[in-house]
Amino acid sequence: MTEARYFEPETVDEVVALLAADEDAKCVAGGASLVAMMNARLVEPSQLISLRHVEELQKIELNEDGWLQIGALVRHCDVVIAAELTEGNQVLSQAAGLIANPVIRDMGTIGGSVGHFDPAADYPVALAALGAEIEIAGANGRRSVPAGEFFIDWYETALAPSDLITSIRVPPAPVGSAGIYEKLAKVQGDMGIAMVAVVMAMAGDAINYLAVSVGGCGPTPIRLPDAEQALIGGSVDDAALQDFSNKLVAASDPVDDVRASAAYRKVLIPRFVAQAIDKAKAKLGEAS
Amino acid sequence: MASEKTTNEMYQVGKSIPKVDAREKVLGRAQYIADLTRPNMLFGAMLQSPYAHAKIISYDTAAAEEVPGVKFVLTGDDFGDHKMGPFIKDEGAIAKGKVRYMGEPVACVAAEDEATARAAALLIDVEYEELPAVLSPEAALEPGAAVLHEDLADYFKVFEAIAEDNLMSYTEISEGDVDTAWDECDLIVENTYETQAQNHLSLEPCGALAEVEPDGLINLWSANQSVFRVQANVCEALGLPMSRVRSMTPKVGAGFGNKMEAHIQPLCVALALATKRPVKMILSREEDFETVRARHPFKIRYKTGVKNDGTFVAREVELLLDGGAFADDSPGVLGNAALMSMGPYHFPNAKAFGKVAYTNHLRFAAFRGFGNPQVTFAGEAQIDEIADKLGIDPIDLRLKNMLGKGEKWFGGQKVDSNGLQECLEKVRASSDWDNRRKNSGENGVGVSAAGHISGLLATGAIVRMLEDGTFVLNTGATDIGQGSDTVLTQICAESLQIPIENIRTAAPDTDGSPYNWGTTASRVTYTTGRAVVGAAEDAVRQIKDYAAILLESPADDLELREGGMVGIKGANKEVSFFEIAAMTHWGVGGPIVGSHTLVFDQPTIDPKIAVAKGMPFTNIGVFTFAAMVSEVAIDKVTGKASAEGAWYAVDVGQAINPGLVEGQVDGGYAQGLGYALFEEMVWDDGRLANPTLMDYKAPGTAEVPYEIDTTIVEHPEPDGPFGAKGVGEITLVTVPASIANAITHASGVRLRKLPLSPERVLNGLIENENT
Repeated sequence: MTEARYFEPETVDEVVALLAADEDAKCVAGGASLVAMMNARLVEPSQLISLRHVEELQKIELNEDGWLQIGALVRHCDVVIAAELTEGNQVLSQAAGLIANPVIRDMGTIGGSVGHFDPAADYPVALAALGAEIEIAGANGRRSVPAGEFFIDWYETALAPSDLITSIRVPPAPVGSAGIYEKLAKVQGDMGIAMVAVVMAMAGDAINYLAVSVGGCGPTPIRLPDAEQALIGGSVDDAALQDFSNKLVAASDPVDDVRASAAYRKVLIPRFVAQAIDKAKAKLGEAS
Repeated sequence: MASEKTTNEMYQVGKSIPKVDAREKVLGRAQYIADLTRPNMLFGAMLQSPYAHAKIISYDTAAAEEVPGVKFVLTGDDFGDHKMGPFIKDEGAIAKGKVRYMGEPVACVAAEDEATARAAALLIDVEYEELPAVLSPEAALEPGAAVLHEDLADYFKVFEAIAEDNLMSYTEISEGDVDTAWDECDLIVENTYETQAQNHLSLEPCGALAEVEPDGLINLWSANQSVFRVQANVCEALGLPMSRVRSMTPKVGAGFGNKMEAHIQPLCVALALATKRPVKMILSREEDFETVRARHPFKIRYKTGVKNDGTFVAREVELLLDGGAFADDSPGVLGNAALMSMGPYHFPNAKAFGKVAYTNHLRFAAFRGFGNPQVTFAGEAQIDEIADKLGIDPIDLRLKNMLGKGEKWFGGQKVDSNGLQECLEKVRASSDWDNRRKNSGENGVGVSAAGHISGLLATGAIVRMLEDGTFVLNTGATDIGQGSDTVLTQICAESLQIPIENIRTAAPDTDGSPYNWGTTASRVTYTTGRAVVGAAEDAVRQIKDYAAILLESPADDLELREGGMVGIKGANKEVSFFEIAAMTHWGVGGPIVGSHTLVFDQPTIDPKIAVAKGMPFTNIGVFTFAAMVSEVAIDKVTGKASAEGAWYAVDVGQAINPGLVEGQVDGGYAQGLGYALFEEMVWDDGRLANPTLMDYKAPGTAEVPYEIDTTIVEHPEPDGPFGAKGVGEITLVTVPASIANAITHASGVRLRKLPLSPERVLNGLIENENT
């Protein structure tokens, strides 16, 4: 029996130094995933580095370039009510609101969830749809990785062992856009069987902005920017949408698990995407 | 025993008083097994098998024994060949010679603290030789399949079991002649159904604490549904006389069949005997999932033949159960499933038969409903299919064929109290069935009805007057959270005509309590309630005899008066229990102790009516009835069905505490809803893939409709306490079929496999779109 040592550093540099010194060290923020994994003896960290006193990680602020910077330690419950997330960017607050249950949302953090990257987690799907960027501090300084490149494979991200997520940066919402985040779960609060995030704007009956991200149906959120682009200028009822969904299905790589089969997820994708786009259209209609 | 007073006239029965232990539980002061501690206590932990089926070649315990704080390591080599089991004695305290399921305890450790014990257990090195695993009842029954219990023929069995190789038990019941009756039928419907394994998911995982006293006597506390079954199992598994073990229970954080037979009590006692120190073992949620027990997966074939006017003519039911690695309650579950498989209906020709097989899964066993939820799901779904084909309203079809006055249950037992007709009529009205059935809107409604047993086996009660005229009631019945202490107190208070607070309920203790088979089979209110009434009557006889002396009047002229008084009929002259207690304690006669014991003795099978083979029990209980209507909404995009409404009517004979009856309805509904829609234990090649609450999902408040409408129907059971019978199980039994029938009404999709998952509903919707 070894007991983990516990640290409470105050700066990002200190955290990175601690991580660099011991590859079995783990950062603990809300503990929503880490503590559960420790209880299940899936991980046994040699050191626990609490992030609670690292000031830089705590805040949400609007950057000068119009991007919204959400500190890694911002809790899900605070993302739910973040007033800065408007129009299509509301997919992020909607996703946050569907994570687990109120107790978890009051503890869990966006940086923890993104770094842990459970393929059935909610944030990655929304962040992929928004084209967000993950800000990282590491042994070699700071860098920024687009969500599309950050999530690599099952439980694998662009993070190196001594890296720390410092914030998530969300670009300004497309003008006039609406966002819809949908999640199918066995029971409320469970990990999703499948999720979809849609950010859409329209000019009359024609789509003039579209981003669709599908989660739970492969190792990483599925986005097909070229296929999205091809829909611009078309109408929502277009048969092209069916085509688009078929491409998403082809790009998916779901597995059978205790929640549902891979085959079901493939059947679900077009139905779920069509519903989310319908809802986005309805929302745009209400707004105009 | 039934009172001549109506509910309104009764003093304590029929009142929704709060549970007698509500306050301590709400305040968090109630003590459960994990809260208990003893001086100098050690903690136990176990090593679990990594194989589904393997020979144990050797153990190396050196590394574990060297860990500082470790006091003792036990393996199968330290145990004799003693075996326990309620039907077939096939199970030791720990794996010995071979392992039969993944997760089975193979060794255990006692250490100064829990973390050390758990870490040390993982250091025990066991050498195995893997054997072929049988992971389904079909595979188990194949000729040449690997056999789990080579000595099955030699095991002691409490009934005439039809058992061989991996066939654990075969049961058959028949009446009339189904084989010739098919010719009389205008319509024959035959389908197969499948149900899944469900975890009991008690809020409190299993645990035990054992200590050996200086004289060698063993004190054992554990989370259980019967201190007496714990005593019997521990003594059988360890080869101890029962006089050496005292079994007790603190508060129990729910039991649904999982805590009726042994879990880790034998291991915990073995560690205490080995270390001569108190040892506590509390299972983690994962260990509880992997090693305790679960609801049997069933494969079911139903064939039902009817006349064009809807009259039931014949039904044949074939069952195949996965029994898991040890028999436990499996033969009983198979027998009860067969007995319940005709439902509460009259079939002139009926046959039910089936097998339960040993497999390399953890043991499947008793779980709220005891085989009835599985067959009721199938049988009640098939009745709806018949109703649909005949164009008859499903409630009308049930009313037409239900057991009528004087008609006997399948097997030949008489049915004294039968409120089914009223139950069906009440839910028809309360759910606004006729209108909802007509509306072909988004939501669907479905009905189901069921009968279930209440009763069986032995029980007793002691009612003892204290010095001040108040009482101690001792029954040995474990209150598992459902409220039996409250109900039995109400029955006792009514019988003695005294306030609730003048009765203390003794905690179950095999040293001081009269025998009680257990809190199971919807039996405590009915059987133990009868014992309480009998014991109270015994006490009242004595009270009146002594009052006769004080009042100088013949005992026959005396009556009990509310509040603990005895008076002369028609006169004001009376004497208090206080005065009688004083006299008997200090002067005349001796303190008053009333007692009564009984064993349920109505035969289940009447050989003049039915032929039965391989029946595991002879006298199972009286009958309770229920009907319910469920409303569901279907998400046409995902196929997800959600429960929108539930209307129940339940015949409980007499509600002793209507609030607690409603509690049983609410709990049975939620657990049944989980079984119908969400819950499923999934195995991946012998390994339980979802032994955590992260991956095993039960319904939460969001999934259960805000209001569950309950109508209590009261058709008194002649020998029940004030007419009461049980309600613990039947409220779950009706749920899956009513939901399945509602899904069909909402969507046209007929599902015959549980759970009724979004995937299965959506596949059905797509199939219907394509045809």
